[in-house]
Amino acid sequence: MKKKSTTAPNIITATGITRTFTTGKVITEVLKGIDVSIQTGEFVAIMGKSGAGKSTLMYQLSLLDEPSGGTLMVDNTNVLILNEVERTKFRLNTLGYVFQDYALVPDLTAEENVMLPLLMRGLEWNTARTTARGAIDGVGLIGKYLNLPSELSGGEQQRVSIARAIAGKPKILFADEPTANLDSVSGTQVIQLITDLNRIDGQTVVMVTHEREYALGADRIIHMEDGIVVNVEQLKK
Amino acid sequence: MRAFRIGLLLGWRQIQRANIWTTSLIIFVMMLTFLNLIAVSGILVGLIAGAEKAVRAESLGDIILSELPDEDRLVETEGIVRELSSFPEIESYSVRYRSAGTLEANYKERRNLQAERDIASVTVTGVDPIQEDAMSGLSSNIIAGEYLNPDEEGYILVGAYYVEEYAQQFGDIFDSLSGVKPGDTVRLTAGEVSKEFIIKGIIQSKVDEVSLNTYIPEREFRRLFGRIDRNADQIVIRVKEPGTEGIVKDTLIDSGLGEFAKIQTFDEGKPKFITDIKNTFNTLGSFIGSIGIVVASITIFIIIFINALSRQRQIGILKGIGIERRAIEVAYILQAAFYAIIGSALGALLTYGFLIGYFERNPIQFPFSDGILVAPVDETIIRFAILFTITMIAGFLPAWSIVRKNTLNSILGRK
Repeated sequence: MKKKSTTAPNIITATGITRTFTTGKVITEVLKGIDVSIQTGEFVAIMGKSGAGKSTLMYQLSLLDEPSGGTLMVDNTNVLILNEVERTKFRLNTLGYVFQDYALVPDLTAEENVMLPLLMRGLEWNTARTTARGAIDGVGLIGKYLNLPSELSGGEQQRVSIARAIAGKPKILFADEPTANLDSVSGTQVIQLITDLNRIDGQTVVMVTHEREYALGADRIIHMEDGIVVNVEQLKK
Repeated sequence: MRAFRIGLLLGWRQIQRANIWTTSLIIFVMMLTFLNLIAVSGILVGLIAGAEKAVRAESLGDIILSELPDEDRLVETEGIVRELSSFPEIESYSVRYRSAGTLEANYKERRNLQAERDIASVTVTGVDPIQEDAMSGLSSNIIAGEYLNPDEEGYILVGAYYVEEYAQQFGDIFDSLSGVKPGDTVRLTAGEVSKEFIIKGIIQSKVDEVSLNTYIPEREFRRLFGRIDRNADQIVIRVKEPGTEGIVKDTLIDSGLGEFAKIQTFDEGKPKFITDIKNTFNTLGSFIGSIGIVVASITIFIIIFINALSRQRQIGILKGIGIERRAIEVAYILQAAFYAIIGSALGALLTYGFLIGYFERNPIQFPFSDGILVAPVDETIIRFAILFTITMIAGFLPAWSIVRKNTLNSILGRK
């Protein structure tokens, strides 16, 4: 288990992040100037009611979307000046994602799904497969390498999704309501897995959830309401 | 290269896991498109090629010797013939004498001298019946009566188009004799000289040069038309090995025969209009085939578009986890390529493995030719390349338009 340093450098520094959407003449401001800093090795949960802007914030921090205003440094890179190709490459090499509905490619086996970003990084097929199988073993799915997503349960698919996200050892793991489509048992297992990644491997994790019990494994909970951070809750470990 | 590799993986797995019936249907459409592209123009061209083949088989042979530009006939015909006999590459040849004459029938029954005579202007060809039959298989075109016997004199073969019974389809285009049949006596007139012949047989072929002709033994021809110099109008040659006519022609020229006759291969000597019609039909076939290409490309466009659209979220997620756009585009292009290649391969297999042979054995019966299917490999490759390229574009465009959408919008299913 890696011991956390209280003086770890910030891996994410967001200042004055805004995000507005324009529909015809209607302008909706979803994020209203968010300041967030996340340290390397930290596990941060973002909570809030529907429409609070928690997922929108995560999309900005994870480079899936571009803020309308503010500054954003991720892993010492001013990511807002990157073009589309550079952003894709940055996401590939630096970030990992777990989506709420697993988002696996249905035509690929479990190991091929995990291999995909590894191959994109340039790993040879055999190396990528060995790494992918290791990651699948790591999430507790030993031997299910050749199963198609349709042959796995929801919980198992989400584990494969986590394996895909962490196989390339990303600097930050983003999880967008990873338990939303799971039953409570599977949900608890997935959260335990993510928590262990943080506790044991020191993986930086940013997770959006609306269930407090799942957020309790985090170091901090950022509470959002109506596009602003209303409270940052430091959890004692 | 990485993007290409991932694209291949994604595309191939999509093909593997796709519904077998859907895939089969798409491939079937592509196969029909390929056949439409090859077979339509192939049959149109084959219609003329069939006619050309018949002209070669039944009339002009593989090599044609005709008079030099400043001569009326083949000078030194007897010397040429002696020379031809010494070439082992030559299977057979026929020396032809040709002139115009008039053929009259029913003159013995004609009571009223004011009534119109039953007369036809005809082409008369003098041949050695055995040589001619060996070269052109003339006897196989007899539809009534018998072929000429080399030992007999006073007999004539009359082309069917000169006989009213067989020429009704042409109306008044040709003069025809009414009610004549084998065994009837007709009078052949050349200038001031006339001679009676008994019709030995009626000949009919899809080659007009045969059906619009009359044949008599060469001895009688020379006597009737006063060809005492024995110089013929044409010598046609069949070579032993098909396809060697160019070499044999060069050999004939090298032996000095070129000084006495203009020597041409069939392709050089065939009427120009055959080539013109062939090219016209080829263009027409390509035009009709191109409609098929448009239909196929729209089909592929729709298939790939629906496929990509239904996977829009998945595409967004792939981009989200760092998969390059190009890899995703390659996946869809690969699918389009797969459909085009497999469909075309099946079409080619059907064309070369079955259809060409089938139409060779069972030609399509057109009034003026036995239509075959012509599909030269080089033209087929070009048409496949066109089909393949257009299919690629049709596969790429929808993938490109969906892949370039905003990543987050794709993930969230927003428009």
